[in-house]
Amino acid sequence: MSTETVLGLLVSVIEFATLLYLAALGETIAEKSGVLNLGVEGMMAFGGMAAFWAGVETGNPWLALVVGAGSAMAFSMIHGVVAVVLGADQVVSGLALTILGLGLAAFLGESLIVEAPRARFDTLDLGPLADIPWIGETLFSMSAVSWLALFAGVVTWFVFTRTHAGLKLRAVGENAAAADAVGTSVTRVRLMAVGIGGAFAGASGAYLTLALAPGWTEGTTAGRGWIAVALVIFGAWQPGRVLLGSVLFGGLIALEPRLQTFGVEISPILVSMLPYLLTILAMVLLSIRSRNRPSAAPAAIGRPFRREER
Amino acid sequence: MGLRLARRESPVRGGQVLAFAVGLLAALVVGAALLAMSGHAPIEVYRSMFDAALGSPRGWSATLTRAVPLGLAGLAVAIAGSMGLWNIGAEGQIIAGAIGGAWVARLAPDLAGPALIPLMLLAAVAGGAALALGPAIARARLGVNEIITTLMLNEVAIRIVRYLVNGPWKDPDGNNFPVAPVLPEQSGLPTLFERSNIGVVIAAVVVIGVGWYAARSTWGYELRIAGSSERAAEYVGISLKAKLFSVLVVSGAIAGLAGGIELTGSSTRLVEGVANGYGFAGIIVAALALMRPSGVAAVAIAFGAVQIGGESIQTQGVPSAISNLLQALILFGALAAAVWVNYRVVRTGRSVEGGAGSAAAAGAGA
Repeated sequence: MSTETVLGLLVSVIEFATLLYLAALGETIAEKSGVLNLGVEGMMAFGGMAAFWAGVETGNPWLALVVGAGSAMAFSMIHGVVAVVLGADQVVSGLALTILGLGLAAFLGESLIVEAPRARFDTLDLGPLADIPWIGETLFSMSAVSWLALFAGVVTWFVFTRTHAGLKLRAVGENAAAADAVGTSVTRVRLMAVGIGGAFAGASGAYLTLALAPGWTEGTTAGRGWIAVALVIFGAWQPGRVLLGSVLFGGLIALEPRLQTFGVEISPILVSMLPYLLTILAMVLLSIRSRNRPSAAPAAIGRPFRREER
Repeated sequence: MGLRLARRESPVRGGQVLAFAVGLLAALVVGAALLAMSGHAPIEVYRSMFDAALGSPRGWSATLTRAVPLGLAGLAVAIAGSMGLWNIGAEGQIIAGAIGGAWVARLAPDLAGPALIPLMLLAAVAGGAALALGPAIARARLGVNEIITTLMLNEVAIRIVRYLVNGPWKDPDGNNFPVAPVLPEQSGLPTLFERSNIGVVIAAVVVIGVGWYAARSTWGYELRIAGSSERAAEYVGISLKAKLFSVLVVSGAIAGLAGGIELTGSSTRLVEGVANGYGFAGIIVAALALMRPSGVAAVAIAFGAVQIGGESIQTQGVPSAISNLLQALILFGALAAAVWVNYRVVRTGRSVEGGAGSAAAAGAGA
């Protein structure tokens, strides 16, 4: 096993962790406000398609990233209107958002399949830091988007735990009626959380189509959005733990094509099941451990709020 | 001055049918805009979709055949839904069912059709139930959320079938394609008319039978009580755990049957795409049918027509994604319209509402 192989693996781990963390962080924010959005896979595809289109048109990766995040944010408002404002079932609305997003991306992206990628992200120039063996070639040479994702995670943690806005968000997700009673607009907070979640999912899709696997094809999201949904639970709705989960699951994805190089005779397809099975295992273990304690999940998750029915 | 939704004393009669019609209309309008944007003539496209799906006996046979997996998946979701549970795993359970059926065909390829087909379908039922077993135990014993566990198992099931058709079950004569060997000829379901097989009859019997049983039996009655109030259920001595467990397993079994019928009826071999999104579409079908088996059948046929129509226009250069688009749009339209079934819009002035800012903050304000 050569140094290059290991370095290649580590770089790949960071790339997949970035992809997963962006989407999972967004879903964490939405779920913290009490809105389950199973539309992550669809928002990723829609945002990724839009970002790739913008990249081809402008050649500017950052503009493309903004277009991807913005269009997925706008797209997520379908879930916002139907599930938050009108109070329809979040599970159905979110799943339909995934189906719609995958369908729209495939339909509108039909002509993009033949396009060659133009916009690529640069790595941040960190000077001498990048010369440090191992760490310099991996962590300090990673894409600016990876730094951005890490930064977003820290900001989210800070907002959740140290600010009034975070308190409001958590209050709405734990007990909407109580938050409403003290004058917080439940609908407004939830709409914003869903929109931010959509923007993050779109950014994740943009990173996929611009950097990780440049280009657009139908099915390029390949179930990564579902892993993001799993990560929120695996990480117990905490930005830090979700990051650890993203590195772990990103690592598993990065291992898949390299197993043979490492002399492991297990089918990569079987390894690719692990994130999902680990999530189920984590859920079972958590429920055994916390039988007599309140669950980590936001208490109001999945429940629409209507003032007169509280 | 603002707008607020107030619950009606009783839902509008026949409201859900109207909501579905509104959803369909909204979907067609949005779909037409998308088609026009991408340079297709919407009316022409819709007309040829309609002709392909419902314009001839051949079209009807294809539509009904497609309605089978959609209807069974919808029934699977609906039966769990009648207890307030979400089985999001129908997609995976369809795959598990198809794997079960294909396994029997591998073990006993020389069995006569009348013995082989029922065995394959039974194995399919068992396969679907087996995949639902874990979430059912976890939910009943530990209270683990079934939405996420069933969702995760979809991705696991997809990878199991991918592993099988790329590895141990790969057809040596398949030109290196990831497919299982062709099933024995006698395992095909007998033809009913044109392109449909007796799977249509099996599905109809199951939908009617399960619907009847859920409506009339003690089991179904207790399900609905448990669905409306856990406390009430425990008060009258219904074992909640047994109900949670049995309804999820039955739900998985029904979805598994859909996989078995797809395998023996519409497919000649096990392939990775055997579930083809039917499990996810089934969730939309059940939601549109308000978890009622009678509604499931009607919506499944409508969705079958949309899918067959959508696939037929690929030859004209229209992406077949249009059918998935239309299905999701129908749901969103109907979900929005369904609010009107249960609520009416009332005007609110701040003076009537009372406290400052409360009208602007109304939870469901439009």
